[in-house]
Amino acid sequence: MSNHITEWLNAYLDGELHGSRLHHVEVHLAECPVCQAELGSLESLSGLLKEVPAPPFTSSERFAAQVNLRLPHQQTATPGKRILEVGWWMIPVGLLGAWILINTSFLVSDILSAANNLGFLVSVSDWLGFDLSNQAYWSTTLGQFGVLSGNSLNWAASTEAFARTSLLEITLQVSIALLYLSWIAIWWARQQRQGHGQLLEG
Amino acid sequence: MTFPSINETELVTRAQNGERNAFSELVCIHAQGVLNVIYRMCGDTQVAEDAAQETFIQAWLHLSSYRPQTSLRNWLYRIAVNAATDILRKEKRILPNALEDLQLNDPQPGPEALYSEGEQARVIQKAVLSLPHACRAVLVLREYEGLSYHEIADALGIPVGTVMSRLNYARKLLKDKLEQKLFLQVEAKNV
Repeated sequence: MSNHITEWLNAYLDGELHGSRLHHVEVHLAECPVCQAELGSLESLSGLLKEVPAPPFTSSERFAAQVNLRLPHQQTATPGKRILEVGWWMIPVGLLGAWILINTSFLVSDILSAANNLGFLVSVSDWLGFDLSNQAYWSTTLGQFGVLSGNSLNWAASTEAFARTSLLEITLQVSIALLYLSWIAIWWARQQRQGHGQLLEG
Repeated sequence: MTFPSINETELVTRAQNGERNAFSELVCIHAQGVLNVIYRMCGDTQVAEDAAQETFIQAWLHLSSYRPQTSLRNWLYRIAVNAATDILRKEKRILPNALEDLQLNDPQPGPEALYSEGEQARVIQKAVLSLPHACRAVLVLREYEGLSYHEIADALGIPVGTVMSRLNYARKLLKDKLEQKLFLQVEAKNV
């Protein structure tokens, strides 16, 4: 008989085989004296191990009393720690709120700018006290003094407008994303520590 | 997979809130299991009792990190195995170089000697203690505590496949070390 199933005999002995694997092992065992002998020796080994008695230990009650005497103060959650814990979970909520606020602000700003460019909001911009259409201040001033002109003036005005709006938006979004990723990383590290580190890993 | 009973879950919750009496009840429930695991790992009653106490102290200190939906017994066994492994590393004297010592001490033990109850237990225990720590932990949890492969995997934080391979290896080593005794036992069965 070839293709012995010795690598599965331990699992078979321990009742850990199921389904087709179990059936395969049972069929093989019925026909193979080599594997039968191997299974017999594994059973004997298991029997031998169980013959070694455990010594009489201290009774559970007395042992518990001894442990109780040695118990240090547990690190229970104090009110301060609870507040910190709540604060910790509020961080992602706050970041989400900030993200929504920023996006809403820029969206409203874009809508107002577009409406203003189309001439719908002249009275509103007067009422608000600023010119929504002109977002390039420094380049306009430099143009008035003749420092910039032509294409350079246009480029400077575009760059300034970009820096005032898009760059600010990108910076804020990236900052929020980085803060959120940092929070996720710390949360993951805490989870790992709770799962493994505190169990006295050898 | 063994889940904690309702009573045990309640005790854990109370202990997590700092109730020492609730924790003492948990110690009572799991003391013998933890003592047995550590004793089978290190082979010394006094050391096992000290390490078991240390196990429960560590459990108490880190009880907030225990998740009640998992098995408390497996969680304690994990701490116990690590405590035993630490002790074995620190106190080499507990760990005999079993087989070599065994063969030197008992070059040709006769059948009577092998079947002398105390002697037999000593020889088997020495053989178990000679196993590598990782294999020994798996063998102890399976043979003496009757944990399933999944429970062992859960307790030791290793995959089930690793449990199987370590158990196979441990039993193979033990069979080689105890070959003569196994032969005599099989013979005795056949008579």
